[in-house]
Amino acid sequence: MKKKIFTFITLMVVAASSCKNLDVSPSDAISTNTLVTTTSGLTNALNGAYALLKDHIEFNGTVDANNMYLRQFYHLSDFASDDIVCGQVTTDPLFYSFSLGHSPAQANTRYYWYISYKIITGVNTVIAAVEKSGKTDAATNQLLGECYFLRAFCHFNLVRLFGKPYSVDPNSAGVVLRTNLTDPAKKARSTVSEVYASVIADAEKAAGLMTEPRGVQYASQAAAWALLARVNIYKENNAKAIEYATKVINTGKYTLTTADTYPALFANATTGSETIFCVAFTQIDDYGKFGSIASMIYSDGNSGWGEEYASSSLRSAMSAHPEDVRWSYIVPSKDANGAIVKRNGIEVYYISKFSFQGGLPNLSSPIMFRLAEMYLIRAEAEAKTGNNTAALDDVDMIRKNRGLEGFLYKKVVPANTTALDVVLLEKRIEMAFEGHRTYDVFRNKKTLNKAYWGYHLAGLKETDVDLSKTPTGYPNLTVPYTSPRTIYYIPIDEVLSNPAVTQNP
Amino acid sequence: MINKILLICCCCLLGYLNGFAQTTTTVTGTVVSAADKQPLPGVVVSVKGTQGGAATKADGSFSVSITGSKAILQARFIGYQTKEVEVTADEKNVTISLVEDVTQLNDVVVVGYSSKKQSELTSAVTVVSADKLKDVTANSVGTMLQGKVAGLQVVNSSGAPGSVAEIRLRGVSSVNANQSPLFVVDGIIGGNYDPNDVESITVLKDAGTTALYGSQANAGVIIVTTKSAKQGETKFEAKVSTGFRTADFGKMNLMNSSELYDYQKGFYRDYIVGATDNTYKIDLVKFYAERPLSLRDQNYNWSKESFKSAPVYNFYLSASGKTEKNDYYVGASYYKEKGTFVNTNFERVNLRGNSTYHFSKKLDVTNNINLSASQGKSYDYMDMYYSFLNMPWDNPYDASGNPVYIDKPKIDAGYTWWSRDPINPLNTVQNSDHTYKGFDVNYDLGINYRITDWLTFASTNRVSASFNKSSNYVSPIAAGTYHGTGYIDELNTLNYGVISNQLFKFDFKFGDHTLNGFAGGAFESSRIEYSGGSGKGLPEGLKVLNVVSNNQTVNGYNNKYILQSLLSQVNYGYKGKYFVTGSYRYDGSSNFSPSNKYGGFPSISASWLASNEEFLANNSIISNLRLRGSYGVTGTQDIGASRYQGLYSLTTQYNSLVGAVPYQLESPNLTWESKRQINAGIDIGLFKRVNLTVDLYRNDTKDLLLRVSQPLSVGFETKWENAGTVINKGIEVGINSTNIKTRDFEWMTDFTINFNNNKLSGFPSDIIKTGSWSISQIYRNGGNLFEFYMPKWLGVDAQTGAPVWEKLIYNNEGKAVASEKTSDYAQATNQEVGSALPKYQGGFNNSFRYKNFNLRVSTYFNYGNKVFSNNLRFMMNDGHEPDYNQIRMPDGAKVWSGPGDTQATEPSPQNSANSTETSTRYLKDGSYFTIRNIAFSYTLPTAWANKISMKGISVGVTADNVATFSNFLGQDPQTTITPGSFATPGVSDFKYPNNRQYLLTVNFNF
Repeated sequence: MKKKIFTFITLMVVAASSCKNLDVSPSDAISTNTLVTTTSGLTNALNGAYALLKDHIEFNGTVDANNMYLRQFYHLSDFASDDIVCGQVTTDPLFYSFSLGHSPAQANTRYYWYISYKIITGVNTVIAAVEKSGKTDAATNQLLGECYFLRAFCHFNLVRLFGKPYSVDPNSAGVVLRTNLTDPAKKARSTVSEVYASVIADAEKAAGLMTEPRGVQYASQAAAWALLARVNIYKENNAKAIEYATKVINTGKYTLTTADTYPALFANATTGSETIFCVAFTQIDDYGKFGSIASMIYSDGNSGWGEEYASSSLRSAMSAHPEDVRWSYIVPSKDANGAIVKRNGIEVYYISKFSFQGGLPNLSSPIMFRLAEMYLIRAEAEAKTGNNTAALDDVDMIRKNRGLEGFLYKKVVPANTTALDVVLLEKRIEMAFEGHRTYDVFRNKKTLNKAYWGYHLAGLKETDVDLSKTPTGYPNLTVPYTSPRTIYYIPIDEVLSNPAVTQNP
Repeated sequence: MINKILLICCCCLLGYLNGFAQTTTTVTGTVVSAADKQPLPGVVVSVKGTQGGAATKADGSFSVSITGSKAILQARFIGYQTKEVEVTADEKNVTISLVEDVTQLNDVVVVGYSSKKQSELTSAVTVVSADKLKDVTANSVGTMLQGKVAGLQVVNSSGAPGSVAEIRLRGVSSVNANQSPLFVVDGIIGGNYDPNDVESITVLKDAGTTALYGSQANAGVIIVTTKSAKQGETKFEAKVSTGFRTADFGKMNLMNSSELYDYQKGFYRDYIVGATDNTYKIDLVKFYAERPLSLRDQNYNWSKESFKSAPVYNFYLSASGKTEKNDYYVGASYYKEKGTFVNTNFERVNLRGNSTYHFSKKLDVTNNINLSASQGKSYDYMDMYYSFLNMPWDNPYDASGNPVYIDKPKIDAGYTWWSRDPINPLNTVQNSDHTYKGFDVNYDLGINYRITDWLTFASTNRVSASFNKSSNYVSPIAAGTYHGTGYIDELNTLNYGVISNQLFKFDFKFGDHTLNGFAGGAFESSRIEYSGGSGKGLPEGLKVLNVVSNNQTVNGYNNKYILQSLLSQVNYGYKGKYFVTGSYRYDGSSNFSPSNKYGGFPSISASWLASNEEFLANNSIISNLRLRGSYGVTGTQDIGASRYQGLYSLTTQYNSLVGAVPYQLESPNLTWESKRQINAGIDIGLFKRVNLTVDLYRNDTKDLLLRVSQPLSVGFETKWENAGTVINKGIEVGINSTNIKTRDFEWMTDFTINFNNNKLSGFPSDIIKTGSWSISQIYRNGGNLFEFYMPKWLGVDAQTGAPVWEKLIYNNEGKAVASEKTSDYAQATNQEVGSALPKYQGGFNNSFRYKNFNLRVSTYFNYGNKVFSNNLRFMMNDGHEPDYNQIRMPDGAKVWSGPGDTQATEPSPQNSANSTETSTRYLKDGSYFTIRNIAFSYTLPTAWANKISMKGISVGVTADNVATFSNFLGQDPQTTITPGSFATPGVSDFKYPNNRQYLLTVNFNF
């Protein structure tokens, strides 16, 4: 008995005190050092960077369905424009884009800023690893090029939202440039022109590297050129804008959708003939009412909140041509008697550009670049460089594919307008709700006219709404390009944690 | 129903017991108090080793039956030491004198890996017996401990069924590492138990004892000892509690229909900022056009419909006894509560068997097993959100009384729905379930082998396994996003682990010297495995993953944790007056990088029991006097695995291909957080009636494991770093006093208070953490933990009605030299405005006994913390969300009504830009005083009990959370103090309200 007990004690003591392997690895994550040493790891990291454009990533310890790069990009861009009107007031920060009651503490800019830089950090890690490896085969170069593209794309969107237009003040503060992994965390904002220079350098490098396109769900050489065309038109480098837009048009890979195919383009972006680059959402990414892009601007009754609508300003700009197929993305909500439904006095015209992929009301693969924009960029640059006929030809190229074959300009600038205004009007209608309008107005030093009924008018009551009149006497009826509220405050987190950063006025 | 169960229980038990009744001869006598020779009534006199027994009458007399020629009588009475007397058959006039047990110096206290006599303690330890716990009936001991231990802060931040309290000992000394004290059940870390099975709870407060738990003890240690046999005879105990709960909304009084109607008139003031023709009058024509007068008659109280009073039941039955070879205890508990929020509940059944088998004089083997199963229904935050915010003008029910189905906003014809969102939470709740189930097994094996008279081998081991499953289900007929499709998800969690401690314990006595202690090793390993799935497209009525038709997802991952340790302790005592203890623990943790895996944790403590010195012997005033001091180091490694690594998460996909997302910044030098603790204490017993314990402490937590805020432009919110030091200094006082003690009447008071102050230092630069709703807290040298950092609200601009915040003007050195008012939120200056941690907190408890009646009143107070009442953002929203119901305005609050309105406290709805943004407007004083519990009980005369073969029966009624006194505006100031996911500490959001609870409890001893 005693012997047995001692044997037992010895066993227990040995078992308890013998050295255990204390190394534990996470089960669903890979260390950065491991990841960057394999090609599949780098590909995964690049896929992850794209995924961040559509995912709801944890922020402040919670996964908030409101938080999505693209959802917020569209809100921050288009809700500030004269294309979209809101049917009610709300404490949701998306309302600040309407009311211009911006705050450094608003949750949507905080997440947008954060996730933009997460994408940038992700691709910077891949770039550093690839360049260290010295590999230069075509597949690796494609991967590297996509990284440069995403870095340029994210920096450019940031500087559009948080920095003044290049044409207005290139030397004003832009955003923090993150082009390597070694800069100190606390870093000042670069100027707008420095950010543009970096974006152009990255995009040009990307265009040179990408020779093995992986489909429109991924960046490609043409996407990089398209980005360069866009950046250069913003920078008012009209020659470069024309050059890159033409490059894209001349690839021959893309053709404009027609009056027949255009209405189905946005529900079928990945197969659309004019899609250059779209962000792929699959059925698993159908976020429904709480987190989709569509749910704020479209509802079939159950599917969304449906609180923001196509504005009367945009609809009157399109009113001359009911046959314009671009009306197909503006869906009036009608009651049983066929009358337009009103929400708090505002007519409900839903927007369906982000719906109906696979028939689902909240699913689409948003298009980042498409061929129509290239024609319109080229047209704008041509108009600005005095080549009105070329500009109008490009505009007509669009119009004849949108059911307006009978209403072409045919190289003639109509009376009481300019070629540039013709181009900008066409672009407003063609690219509506796709995140262009505010930038196009302000970078061209124009004033945004928001003198229409909607809850961007502070103090508006339903009974004040008289659709037969134009509202007067309210603040914010117009927003000049000189207004400090054309851009957003740097988010509070950055300002508090990075003293080198200055706040916008 | 309950009555029936009770009746059946009683009948069964009675039938069973009657079979045992036997009689031979009768012994009579009297029990008196040793001090004053007065007779003591109510003393239980029993025959050792048998079922018999009786209580003394008013004159102290008793009469017991014994079998055989000799027997040993036991006399037991609360507050007195139990006495045993040998009697012979038919002996009369036996006098038993009981000695008062005030100091309980000889009680053995479990202090972790070993036990010590009270008199030999060298560190700050508080013991709470089951008697003092049981007046509160709850699912967790945390709630039961509130106000009963000096230095222990208990926060019941949620009233959801099955929720547990947050516990902090001596302030907060870790931020992102675990702050909750380590629970040790029956000598082994962790473990599951039912509150009914608890014999006593020991709280270890200073490093003198906690350092033995090394890297797991930064937040203190709470030792739970479950019941075991105390006497030979088999003793049964049964308890039945039943009652109900109601939701306690505190000061969150929502507007009713007409109040809201009148409030909304303010939205129709003729005022457009910047316009020149403002009249500032309320435009009633517009108002009536948009809000018909008939609305005032539509008054529906959403929170009343969503929160109902709910029943609670708790049954407990146990048996314990000793034989020559075996000590055993068996306990069974069943606890059930319905939640006050519709469709929520929790139930738990727990079985425990504790047995120690004495194989020989040398070898004891202990087998303890605890089985528990629980299930319940949780809730969806959004359902609760809408039950507070929906408008009183909307009727939740249709004509037939069912929750109305709503899916369109009020614009659409056929609907009149005033609430902001077309959501009826009652309908959603009816068509959805958030269920969870759990099953948990603990098996403890203890082997105690006395190798020689001075050396013992003690092995304690536990194997534990639990399986938990939670599911969220939304029916396809529910309104909202899943209408027509339905949704289900499931998450399964398997958790298993082993803990093993092997110790050699020694114990020497030579002359006046005692030397004892132990040395050995410990090993802990645990693994958690998660798996789950979700999908949409459910056929109506079916609720399993098998039937989902689209959007299927699966997920699964696991975590592993290993801790390996060596530990030792030496205790030296001299003449029963001087005691010194030293201990050392060496831990290796899997949570750190290879170069930082190991850490050592020493401690030294000493005490002087002055009352054992001759100069205090038989002192009539001071019955007990002890001075204590300790120093030691504890640590923390409980931050989760792999925090030092740079990580990419592989949980996402793009275009159906796996994606890796930057998840964590590398921090290769991440190491242990260590806490150096100094404690000095004094224990004084006066007049054998009053015990006073005072402790002073200073705890320096260095190398705080902190998720340091990063500029978001690096792509990460935080980085794990060892940054800064937090120093907690405090004083802790505990008094228990027997104020009055006569034969029939007794009044006892317990008072505890803890002042705690914390200071931060050693930060290379300020760290400002900004959480949800942009609520920030600052970590600054010289500052406090959880210090809110936000603009100061200065009220309303009397001329414009705009909100006003403070803007500080800084000079070139960065010093604030002046301040001005601003109505531009972006210009307002963030500043330190108070901490979420209290300055002091404690409890004041009184118990009274008159004859067989007992009354106990427990109170708890908490002073000096700030709470951010985040729900005011929605419920005092100045018209930013006109279609939410609003909180009834506090006294003195007034909405701005026109230029020159200097009385206004709330901004004009027409000029309130950013008024609901984070500022001190919603930051409230979190101080409160609560009558935690009132318990009234009556012990039936023993003679009555004996008639039905019971030894004792008591009947009691208790009321919990009777009243809370506070200036806080919101639900209740008790809010989470745990940073991390979802919550910034000290931020109160819509929460499951705490409960008022009313219970009837009947206790049987037989």
